[in-house]
Amino acid sequence: MEFYRNALECSEAVKSFSDQACAIAGYELRLTSSNSKLWLLIGGKLSADSYVANGGCKVRSFPITQGTLSLIVYLLDRQCALIAVVSFNFHCFCSSQSRADLLTLGLAVTNILTGLVWLSIRPKSISVVNPQGVECKRLCTTLPEVARSELLWAWKSLSDATCCRSLVIVYDSSCILQIGFAAESSSEDGQAASVDTNKLTQGSVYQGVMKSGAQSYLANLSLYPGKSELPFLPSNTQAVILQPLGDKGIAIIGGDTIRGFTASDQAWITYIGEKMDSTLAKYVTHHPLTSQD
Amino acid sequence: MNNVTSICFKPFIVPSQILCPKTSFRKFPLTIPRSSLQDSQPPNSTNQQQLNLSVLRFTLGIPGLNESYLPRWIGYGFGSLLLLNHFLGSDSATVTSAQLSTEVLGLSLASFSIALPYLGKFLKGAQPVDEKIIPDGTEQIFVMSADVVNGLKEDLAWASYVLLRNTNAIAILIFIQGEICARGYWNIPDDTSKEILPGWFKKKIENASLYDLKDTLYFPQDADSEFQDLVPVGTRCLLIQPLSQVSNDSATGLQKPTGFILLASTTRYAFSNKDRAWIAAAANKFRGNSSSKVEDL
Repeated sequence: MEFYRNALECSEAVKSFSDQACAIAGYELRLTSSNSKLWLLIGGKLSADSYVANGGCKVRSFPITQGTLSLIVYLLDRQCALIAVVSFNFHCFCSSQSRADLLTLGLAVTNILTGLVWLSIRPKSISVVNPQGVECKRLCTTLPEVARSELLWAWKSLSDATCCRSLVIVYDSSCILQIGFAAESSSEDGQAASVDTNKLTQGSVYQGVMKSGAQSYLANLSLYPGKSELPFLPSNTQAVILQPLGDKGIAIIGGDTIRGFTASDQAWITYIGEKMDSTLAKYVTHHPLTSQD
Repeated sequence: MNNVTSICFKPFIVPSQILCPKTSFRKFPLTIPRSSLQDSQPPNSTNQQQLNLSVLRFTLGIPGLNESYLPRWIGYGFGSLLLLNHFLGSDSATVTSAQLSTEVLGLSLASFSIALPYLGKFLKGAQPVDEKIIPDGTEQIFVMSADVVNGLKEDLAWASYVLLRNTNAIAILIFIQGEICARGYWNIPDDTSKEILPGWFKKKIENASLYDLKDTLYFPQDADSEFQDLVPVGTRCLLIQPLSQVSNDSATGLQKPTGFILLASTTRYAFSNKDRAWIAAAANKFRGNSSSKVEDL
């Protein structure tokens, strides 16, 4: 009891000392409390899942090196002892030594093959491309606070959890949100290009998404001819997700990595789209939208 | 002020941004393993030639059998055969040193093979997690405190639904401003009516002392003993995400804790970095006023 009470009182000194000690060992230490409980959280790069997930190539080649080294050790051992390497013939099961040899060779081969399978499933590393454009933060004025905060929450979630760098929401034929990076306007220097909703709603990209009612994921935007219908996004946007919001709106989400949105991201974006649709449907019909200029 | 009753040491993973690009994963029927050299670039290119190793991936075609655990079974099988061979296959007098060295090598390889599937789970591009395992004795429920305002009710229903659908969690408990919302598979006592369940949950939360949690608690391998009473039986992984509210006094910008989201899962290491980022984003929904300067359209 005494120790715990002191730990609370001199927590700053203890914390800084233990931080330094743990930084040397590769761990991170944190004190947090809830009511009467004091939690000491120890974590860091040496924990299994973060080490392997970040280790990448080194971990993937572990089994191969292990298997190959074992084979080499086995052969060298046989060479030095001048004993014949096991051969696959009728007599190989007769002596216990050759049986042991066979089992060991089988295990070494298993390790090598597993290592090769791990290498084959290595995802190609794709680099981030910083969007070329200007940052903007435009939101429709006539929306009530509830709807505005929900839209801003959606933007914050997308930009924190995914590779999203631009978000445009068009609802009921007018643009109600344009946030993040946007292409620079040709007429005004330094200002973001505005969204021409008439042109967008008549384009094939919008029509296709609204007709199918399902999310559309353009994983590599440079390959799609429909890119010209999204001139308000930065020209080097790598991936785009078009999420219909019910049958009245669309959310256009631009990312900075080719195939940067995972299946999990797509599922989350679908549900966020449904939520935004139900919120906007309640409020947009009751408030006239201002026209853009 | 209550006395401190325990200190708990548990692993906690440092969050880091990891991008997971999509990979394609094709399966072939069992074939003799071979690799082929494939020229993906013209001969005068300076890029390295890529070995096409995808032919090494195979499946035995038996539903429900997870081939990534094959090295583990081979490790157990061959390791036990090695031991059998050592003790039964030969007299201890006639065991040669060469055989001993081979057996030592073989046993180390076997133990490594057994550990391989555990490491392979964490690699990017590895198989996704299997179906959720529902523990016995649990019942699927959806309860909310009666005093919740309508706007918050909708948000709670949506958040609990989405978190259960999109993560490996089987049970979720949201505690916000003294009200609760519980959804998923929970161990509730038999014949309890829906009205008393919110009170039942609140009592459990009080016993676990989670009222003013400030940091995320993540137990990837085992729910802490403090929470055994609160979470469904059979929980292997627990994540508790605190909810905070920006106080009206914006000068200090302080955040005071107003509750938490508790997610329980029956698989270990159930919540990846990406899952945790999305859970934190969902928790922000309950943050309250997000006042930021925006241009008007």
